[in-house]
Amino acid sequence: MQLKIEQLIPVPLREKLNQKHSDVWLQNLLIESLDYVGVQAPSGTGKTTLIHSLCGLRQDYDGAIFWDNKNLRNKNGEEISELRTQKVSVIFQDMRLFPDLTAWENLELKRTLTNTVSAKEAAEWMNRLGIGDKMMALARTLSYGEQQRLAIIRSLLQPFSFLLMDEPFSHLDHQNTTVASQLILEVVKKNNAGLLLADLDENDFFPYNKTYLL
Amino acid sequence: MSQNCQAGILKKLLLRKTKSGRLVSAWIALCIGCTLLLVSVIIWSCFQDLLSGKSGEDSLGATFLTISKKVDDASMAQKGSTQILSDDIAVIKTAPQVQDVGLLTPANFKVAASLGSGQMSFYTLLFLESAPDRFMDKMPETWKWQEGDNTIPIILSRDFLNMYNYIFAPSQGLPLLSEQSVKAIGFKLTMGEGANQVDYRAQVEGFSDRISSVLVPQSFIDYGNQKFSPGSIGKASRMIIKVGDPSDKNFVTFLEKNNYTTNAEQLRFSKMRSVVEVVSGATGILALLLMAIGTLVFVLFIELTMAQAQESVRLLLQIGYSPKKLSRFLITKYIPIMLSALLAALLIASSFQFFAAHQLNSMQLKINSFPGIYVWIAVGFSALILLLQINQSIKKAINSKI
Repeated sequence: MQLKIEQLIPVPLREKLNQKHSDVWLQNLLIESLDYVGVQAPSGTGKTTLIHSLCGLRQDYDGAIFWDNKNLRNKNGEEISELRTQKVSVIFQDMRLFPDLTAWENLELKRTLTNTVSAKEAAEWMNRLGIGDKMMALARTLSYGEQQRLAIIRSLLQPFSFLLMDEPFSHLDHQNTTVASQLILEVVKKNNAGLLLADLDENDFFPYNKTYLL
Repeated sequence: MSQNCQAGILKKLLLRKTKSGRLVSAWIALCIGCTLLLVSVIIWSCFQDLLSGKSGEDSLGATFLTISKKVDDASMAQKGSTQILSDDIAVIKTAPQVQDVGLLTPANFKVAASLGSGQMSFYTLLFLESAPDRFMDKMPETWKWQEGDNTIPIILSRDFLNMYNYIFAPSQGLPLLSEQSVKAIGFKLTMGEGANQVDYRAQVEGFSDRISSVLVPQSFIDYGNQKFSPGSIGKASRMIIKVGDPSDKNFVTFLEKNNYTTNAEQLRFSKMRSVVEVVSGATGILALLLMAIGTLVFVLFIELTMAQAQESVRLLLQIGYSPKKLSRFLITKYIPIMLSALLAALLIASSFQFFAAHQLNSMQLKINSFPGIYVWIAVGFSALILLLQINQSIKKAINSKI
């Protein structure tokens, strides 16, 4: 899958972002299907805005985003839904879990959409990331770290060609970050997919072949 | 299995906040609206049946009037003064209320009816009349006669039988006769006089509420007048007319002005019919209004439920649930509720119809005991409208979260 960005700039941030150089905003970028892209984004440079725009959650931008040469802005609700279910998976910075569902229900809700990962495998991933004992706990009772690990697993429970990540390890310690990034890398490779991670600082969570400053 | 699990979780997310009290209230509102709509359709279709005489009894069939020229002191001496001429028909047709005109053709020859001998025997002179088939409220299958047939079917005015049973028979010590017994008894009709006299067998085939006469098929009257009274064809004195609203004051004035007479009670009865039509129309409008309110309450209930679940809907869309899938899930949850309200309304309305048919039957007014085609059309139409409304409100709520 190919991602093309043309002269992209979020309307609310236009004035602010115009004042400094960016490798992404107002540039033309081509990201190929197996690229591992690291985006270093200091505070206030529109990191979350970029991730949300790329997965179709925001439309308040100028310029264009093309997934496989199809303008994201021209996709209807059903097509965006297909993109999010089959092609592009996202780990949100704010997790976006259902607080009144249990950890396991949060996963099942996503897993049963495509049934590409078995329930057994999902349970194994929970154990691997150290939240196996939290299956029946309500999401809202989990710590930020646990919620983040749950959100990471949820994003891997679907087929994808590209994984978008918005500060995916911000609430995790070094050891948990290592375990989680290893799992992500395994699943990305299994899916023969690319990834794009946006974080505040320069990092080596993944073997990036492209890095940009936002 | 996994689909059931998914449906369970979706239900928990989207419908858990539904208050059962609100659901019951919305269901009752919808049910009342549907019930009133169906009852008004039943009332309307039953009145249509009664007024158009489809039920066979034509008990409210006052749209047909039998009119004739008034007999006054001046016309008493003039022979043929009550005869209907083609000019008279032309004049009647000019009245805007008149939709159709037909002549009641009398037998212009001597007719005598007789039966057996002994205590049950009788002999009487009789008159016969015929009306065009389109004006008949009773048309038995045996209602035909052709030259050579020895049996003549007769339709008798129900008034005549009532007069016999309630006035004549008790005063003369004669046995009462039911409609069935009259139909079972055949009697002899003797036509003409002298050498031209012929005997026929007559059989009462039915009773009319519309025309006060002794009716035989038109073909027999035409044949009889030619055979027994040549040259008298067409000397009718009574007309039967079909009118839109006989209680119209202008029409009553028109009849009086042209010196026609008819049954005044029939006109008064027609006024009642007009009132009934207005009431049934008003009931229909009220029912439509209440149905609209019922639908609105139900749709508002759905929109409120959707509003309470809006965060969940937004998140579901964000993790990849398609608007179509969510709509389908929600619609399948609301359709059974909607259908159950409609079904309950149908049961209540059918019970009403069954009860009303039973009550009216004792008043000689026959209506169907079970819902007719119009009720089923109303049910189908209501279901379709509700489905479209539910579909629209759910889609609107979901699409606003994309």
